[in-house]
Amino acid sequence: MDLPGYYEYHCSVKVIAGHDALEKIPGILQDLHACRPMIVTDKGVAGAGLVDIVLGAVKDQLVIGAVADDVPPDSDLRVVNRLAALYREKGCDALIAVGGGSVMDTAKGINIVVSEGADDLMKFSGAGALKRPLKPLVAIPTTAGTGSEVTLVAVVKDHERHLKMAFVSYFLLPDVSILDSRMTLSLPAAITAATGMDAMTHAVEAYYGLSKNPLSDATALAAIRLISGNLVKATRNPSDREARLAMANAAALAGMAFSNSMVGMVHTLGHATGSVCGVPHGVCMAILLPYGLEYNRHKREAIMGELFFPMGGSDVFARTPKEQRTDRVIAYVRQMNQDLHDASGGRHARYFKEVSDREGKPAVPRERLPDIARTALGDGSIFYNPEELDYDDFLMVLEAAWEGVALDSGRIRE
Amino acid sequence: MNSYKEIQSGSKPFKRAYVALMLWFVGRAIEAAARVDGVVKAEFDGLAPGFTFSLGVMPQGPTMIVGKDAQGLVKYRGWNTEGQKIDLKMKVKNLEGAILMFTFQESTALATARNRLIVDGEVPAACAIVRVLDIVEVYLLPKLIAKLAVKRYPDWSFGEKVRNRIRIYAGAVLGL
Repeated sequence: MDLPGYYEYHCSVKVIAGHDALEKIPGILQDLHACRPMIVTDKGVAGAGLVDIVLGAVKDQLVIGAVADDVPPDSDLRVVNRLAALYREKGCDALIAVGGGSVMDTAKGINIVVSEGADDLMKFSGAGALKRPLKPLVAIPTTAGTGSEVTLVAVVKDHERHLKMAFVSYFLLPDVSILDSRMTLSLPAAITAATGMDAMTHAVEAYYGLSKNPLSDATALAAIRLISGNLVKATRNPSDREARLAMANAAALAGMAFSNSMVGMVHTLGHATGSVCGVPHGVCMAILLPYGLEYNRHKREAIMGELFFPMGGSDVFARTPKEQRTDRVIAYVRQMNQDLHDASGGRHARYFKEVSDREGKPAVPRERLPDIARTALGDGSIFYNPEELDYDDFLMVLEAAWEGVALDSGRIRE
Repeated sequence: MNSYKEIQSGSKPFKRAYVALMLWFVGRAIEAAARVDGVVKAEFDGLAPGFTFSLGVMPQGPTMIVGKDAQGLVKYRGWNTEGQKIDLKMKVKNLEGAILMFTFQESTALATARNRLIVDGEVPAACAIVRVLDIVEVYLLPKLIAKLAVKRYPDWSFGEKVRNRIRIYAGAVLGL
């Protein structure tokens, strides 16, 4: 095992997982000395009946101060400040976030404002701005992918000034994360597939990235094993409760891994593609993951080969010669995308050429690839990638990912 | 009554002086490289007018400051941050971390990965400055050492590298 000369690992989130984990909420809040939480969610989650499931699980045992269900798909500064005012007005003393990444980020933003007794989140941007613990926050993810239920980051957009602010602090880690299979049972197949591949990417990039360490390795490998055994199953059969619970666990494990090891070029390019073309994050991750492996393999061959153990299982791993394992890992990820494509009735995209927007038009026109490559140059995740990438390298990877062909190893500069 | 001894942290004057010298040299070399190297110049051109950044050691320095003037020229602005509007602050968390970086036992990327740096400012600007630092390190250091400091050693032609290296050294040392 590669033991780094120095590393840091932190995860203080209590995780409660099970088919009936939501019923624990009243006791959890009591332990945290809170009795009047505000639920933060979005219209989609509320419309799917997931908030009703949470309310049903806590009925007669808890007073809910308010249900704020108008979080937009992109977290928004004004919404954060407005909901913080609502929290105060209703006399709440804790937050329960029910949703995906945007809801989690919004709840974390509200928590900063209400805990600091402020009226504007903007005052707390920048390193080291938070100095003390915040109000109790319980995170209930409704997708299995982002891992934000165990991460210390909140990204909030200031749409007026076109700014994206990242808040990073150990105080932003939720106190408790509840993984309940009921929360993802209604997730459509294509979203299940894309968010699941987001979790897979968190685990894989954490495992071969520059900040890898033994603790994040352990969570990354456990996540990959769970995803390999359950993602296609959950996509094919959305009501498979065991597969859903396994994926919820996998996403949290992958979240623990990447929030301590960070991510690399797959996220760099994914963030840029999302920003330029509006492609959902998980879709970008699924398409780009094989290319992150191919591009970095000359620096991380042996480490990447180890990933075949949780992917292929112990017997196949033992039968596969060392020098073939990284090839098998890359092939495995591509095959997984193909299986998810089939299991979702063709809605899971395998390359950028086949990603379409809501009107059915190509979401990533080839002529936008240079814009994406330029945007990628300004993304901080690139620091943690094992190999260097400049504009030409980004463009080369994007062109291959657009076409759906393997990288030409002769064009990768070492 | 017990008497509790107060322990002062060591000042490590030699290490501090070494890091201060390296920061002074790198700061002046960045100014020279922005005149000589097209990629460095393009990186600074992409930053906002008047953009200024600092690279220093917590808690008390040393620090170096580099910024663009009104004409867009890149200038080394010394070590004193007082009265300067700094858009991007890059701080190594302690002197020992800075020693690892400036003795090239750890690359900038590895120092970042090991959480030794704090970046306060816009991330795209920080990315550009890290790329500039990498290029300047390649000019200043022999290949054997520079390969430890950067992820990928650039494939510049020998003539171009030597010509630019002489001009950057002349700028950094003699101020030419």
